[in-house]
This record gives sequence, C-alpha cells and structure tokens, in this order.
Amino acid sequence: MFANGDEIFKISRLTLAWLTIIFTIVWMVCWGVGIGLPMLLSQQLGDQANLANEILRAVTPVIAILVFIPINAMFMVLIERRALALWTVRKGPNRVGPDGNLQTAADAVKLLLKEDITPTGADAAMHTFAPILFFAPSIIGAVPLLAAVTNDHPLFHILNLPTGIFYVLAAGALPVVALVMAGWASNNKYSLVGGLRSAAQAISYEIPLVLSLVTVCLMAGTLDLVKIAQQQAGGILNWNLLGGGALVGLNQALGGGGAKALEAAYPMGPVSYICAGLLVCSLIISFWLYLTGACAEINRIPFDLPEAESELVSGYNTEYSGMKFAIFFLAEFTNLFVVASVTTVMFLGGGDNPIPPYILDKIPGIPQMVAAIRDSFFCQTLHIINPETLFATLWVIAKVYGLVIFAILIRATLPRFRIDQLMAFGWKRLIPLSLIVFIIVVFAREFVNIHG
Amino acid sequence: MGQDLLPPLLSAPGVETWAFYILTTLSICLAIAVLADRVVIRSGFILIGVFGTISGIFLLLSAQFLALAQIMIYAVGITLMVVIALMLTNPRLEREQAVVYYDESLPPLAKIFASCKRNLSLWVSVLSFVTLYSALIGENHWPLSDQAVSPDAVKVLGEALVTNYSIPFEFSSVLLLAALMGAVMLAKGESKNRDDDNVAIVDEAKKQENNLALQR
Repeated sequence: MFANGDEIFKISRLTLAWLTIIFTIVWMVCWGVGIGLPMLLSQQLGDQANLANEILRAVTPVIAILVFIPINAMFMVLIERRALALWTVRKGPNRVGPDGNLQTAADAVKLLLKEDITPTGADAAMHTFAPILFFAPSIIGAVPLLAAVTNDHPLFHILNLPTGIFYVLAAGALPVVALVMAGWASNNKYSLVGGLRSAAQAISYEIPLVLSLVTVCLMAGTLDLVKIAQQQAGGILNWNLLGGGALVGLNQALGGGGAKALEAAYPMGPVSYICAGLLVCSLIISFWLYLTGACAEINRIPFDLPEAESELVSGYNTEYSGMKFAIFFLAEFTNLFVVASVTTVMFLGGGDNPIPPYILDKIPGIPQMVAAIRDSFFCQTLHIINPETLFATLWVIAKVYGLVIFAILIRATLPRFRIDQLMAFGWKRLIPLSLIVFIIVVFAREFVNIHG
Repeated sequence: MGQDLLPPLLSAPGVETWAFYILTTLSICLAIAVLADRVVIRSGFILIGVFGTISGIFLLLSAQFLALAQIMIYAVGITLMVVIALMLTNPRLEREQAVVYYDESLPPLAKIFASCKRNLSLWVSVLSFVTLYSALIGENHWPLSDQAVSPDAVKVLGEALVTNYSIPFEFSSVLLLAALMGAVMLAKGESKNRDDDNVAIVDEAKKQENNLALQR
C-alpha cells in the first residue's frame, strides 16, 4: 500500500518494543521500592519498619523519574532519527546493532568517554553549573505530573500539589537562565548570541503559553493537575480541547440524560449554544497556542534559533563536550516529554478514554476483561496492577508519544524562522490572539453550565 | 495534598527550624557574594540563588503560590532582564577597571565623599539593614493569625485581590500598562528614524547603480 511500508512497520515495531521495555522497567522499580520492599519489611520486622517504609514510599516518585529519564531520552533520540529519516526519505541509523537500533546506546557510551573541555578564558564554575541548572528543572517539573498521568495512584499521591500547573510553569521558566549562563560562560561570541536569542525567544513566547494555560485553568476553576485531569473523564466530548467542559451537557444528553441534561447545561437556549460553540473554538485555538509556545520554549525546530547550526555553529552549546553536552542533550528530550505530558493533562483529557463509557460498556467483552483483571492474583495480592491506573496510563502513553511523534513531524516539515520573523510572529500575532481568546472565554463561560 | 504521607517526616521536632536556619544562612552568604563578586554578570546570576532561597522561606511559611511566583517573576524574569541589560553595556570592562586610585591630596571632606562613592553598595545595604532592623524592633510583635492555612490558598488569594485589595491591584496594572506603552513609544520613535535613514541609503545606492548602468 505504501512505498515505504517496510520502514513504517519497522518504526512501529521499534516503538512498541521500546515502550514496553521502558515502562515495564520503570514500573518494576516503582513497585519494588514503593510496594514490594515495604511489604517484605513489614512481614519481617512488623511495626518497626514503619518509618523505613514511609521513607521508601516518599522516594519512589523520584527514583521512578530518575530511572525513566535516561532510557526515555535514548528511545526518543532513536525514534526521532528514524522518523526523520522516514519523512525526509533517507536511511537513518543502520550500522550499530540490528537495524541500527543500538545507535543511541553507542552514542551514549561515546559521550560518556569523551574528554570534558573547558575553553580558555571561560568562567569555569558557571560553565559547569549551567548544564546542571538546565537539567534539574526538567526533573523537578516532571514530578507533579506523575500523579496526574497515573490517575492519582496511591504511590504518587504525595506529589499532588494544589498549585500543580503553576509549579510546572515555574520549573519550565528556569532553563532559560541556564542557556544564557551557558552562552556567557563559554567565552565565545556564537554561544553568547545563542544565549541571548534563547532569552528573547523564551520571554516573548512565555506570554501566549501561559495565557493559553490560564484559559484552561479558568474553565476548570482549579490549578490542581489531578483535578483538571479527573474533571475531563468520560469521553472525548468532556476533554478541555473541546470547550473545556462546555460540551459536558451534550455528552450527558447523548449518554441517556436526554433533553433535561441539555436544559440544565445550556440554560439560556440559543445564546448558550452559541457560547458553547465559541468556547470550543477558543479552546482549540488555545491548544495550538500552547503547542506553538511550548515548541519555542524548548527550542525545537521551527524555533531552534538559539542553536541554529547554519548561523551560530551550535549556539549556546558550541563549547560543550562530553558529559556536559550529554546533559544538555538529555534535558532537551526530557523537556519535550514534559511538554507533551502537560498538553495531555491540560487539553487531551489525561488518562481518559476517548470513547465515552455509555458506548464502551455496550461493546461485548470489555467489561468482562476489566473485571477479570481486577480479580486477578497480580491485582488483589501483589498490587502489581492497579486497574484504575493501568488503562489511564496506557492512554497517557499513547497520547504523549503521539504528541512527541507530531513534534518530530513538525521538525521534518518546517524550516527555521528568522529572528525578526520570530519576534513579529510572537508579539504581533500570538499575544493578541491569546488575549482575544482569553476575553472571549471569560464572557462566554457565564452562559454555559460547565462541568455539570 | 500529599500531607498524609509527609507529616511523620516533616513534623519531627526542629526540622522546620533547621530548614529555616539553613535557608537564611545560604541566602545571606549568596547576598554577600552578589555584592562582593567583581564580575557583574556573575553576581547577577548569583542573585537568582538569593531569590531561590527566599522562595524556599516562603515555602516554609506555607505560601506555595508566593514561592512559585517569586521564582517565576524575580528569579527568572527580572534577573534575566538585569543580566541582559548588563551584557549589552559591555560588562567585561568592569574587571579591568577594578583598581581604584586613591588620591592623597584631596581635602578631608572630599575624601569622605570619595569613600562613600566607592563603597556605595556597602552604605546602601547598611542603611537598609538599619531601617529594617529598627522597624522590626519598634513594633514589638507582629499580629499572628491563629487561623489554619487554607488548603486552597490560591482561591483565597484570588478572592482577596479582587475584593479587599482591588484598588491597589488595579493601580499596579495601570502602572505596568503605562510602562509598557512608554517602552513601545520609545522603541517606535527610534526605529522609524533608522528606517528613514535606511530608505535614503537604499535610494542613493539604487540611483548610483542606475547611473552606472546608464554610463555603460
């Protein structure tokens, strides 16, 4: 059917295999530290083990993230190179291991063994500190997302902050400082220009990014990531992407509520219907605004001016080598993953199934399958599988990696902006658009009964 | 909120006090480093650390929103602006000018003025410290509320901003708007002149090119 069907098959196979490996490893580690070890300790020591168990449970999320980030970055680099090769009709990595699938492992070993060079005249302390400051916020920012993407699993419940999304945004603002620091400390004009560009770009694009998220929070009435994710449960019509809860009434009406549910959700008749339509349009625009702003924030093509190879050698990381460069590289891919998870939680319903439950329950076999999993030995005795978390997590994984692949497709498709085009696009198009959307949402939400 | 797992670890006696002492020591050391560092840009980056530790103190006071706003606005936004402004005014000269010549022949009053000028940052910090200290001593006790901190602190904050404190809030927004418009006006005036110059230069070049073509 496709001319390159073979390649597509190879990439899908690779993705499925890698994702299975990654999440099995991460979940086994989490289970071992958070559930298995405490169970063993309490059997052996009784009540004496309580404090140790609490400490173990408290460090589980951190260990989960620290295990997850390196293997995930390895996978993402590989899939990015293969997918880019597919879309630009090239071969891609094909020498190391079967089908070139060990390429990133070889790269990682190479980067670890390389000499670490500090250029002459550079500020050594800040040259070392910049990659750390770049990498740390991406871990810190990923932490509160864990509770939201696992449907509030008891192990990760500890991470649920009342100011969740604001925390993620504050953590996401820090890497810019690190880029300016890296650019300045390198004692290289290209690096300095790269750092300054990244600062200008991040300051300009943070405004539409934050305003689009504020629109969502306004509709949800909370900053809590878990609450935002759980509000959207119940099918694609409840997702924030489609009106931020403006279509909940329609969903209830379709699910058996009938005209009464419509009446309750849209009390003003035609005015309410028009406002619901406006909300749907605004939230879809917000979604694209967020994706654009996030692309600029994490310096991906078409916004990768800070490291434009054709103009600035390699921008802020020109003078970095070995381990420090590896950390920059790792953080970039982690940031992409964090941004995709935030989009999933804020706009795409978190761990929600796109098919609403009133259709899903009619499909033969699915309720029985869920019940069978719920009653199994793994679930009841060992607590390896939590049925509420399992399906949510599978959906989150599908959505997040779908967005990642979409970002790679964008990279394969669009050319790089020029700096003046970038600034004009940000200040003259995106910021006014986000303000208009915000104002529309503020007024339109008064006429619709949101979230029941 | 995660409070059901953390308390046994955090409510151990003295943990909060210890955290407060560590944070304050760190922030004072970093603040001194900001003043003492000879490279202006590096002291700008150290300032981020000072703001970070202060946001840690806010966290200890269970003001989560304020702590995050501190990081987002002060530690990143404002410091970045300061650092970039410094970079654009060529800070590497600062290191070479570090040696200050001391002139013995000045009259005594002028000497005092000169020393004040040299140690300006020291005097400003001493003055502000004395002011703050006297303010703290003068009011013997700060009013302590015995209300528990609401778990939904953001909501309380938002409601206070649009009810009790709406006028200061609006005034500060008007001030920011005025600053924004002023910046736009300044930038606009400058770029217009330059564009005119450019157009004139381009016209001139085109004319010359035409002349050359005609001559051939």
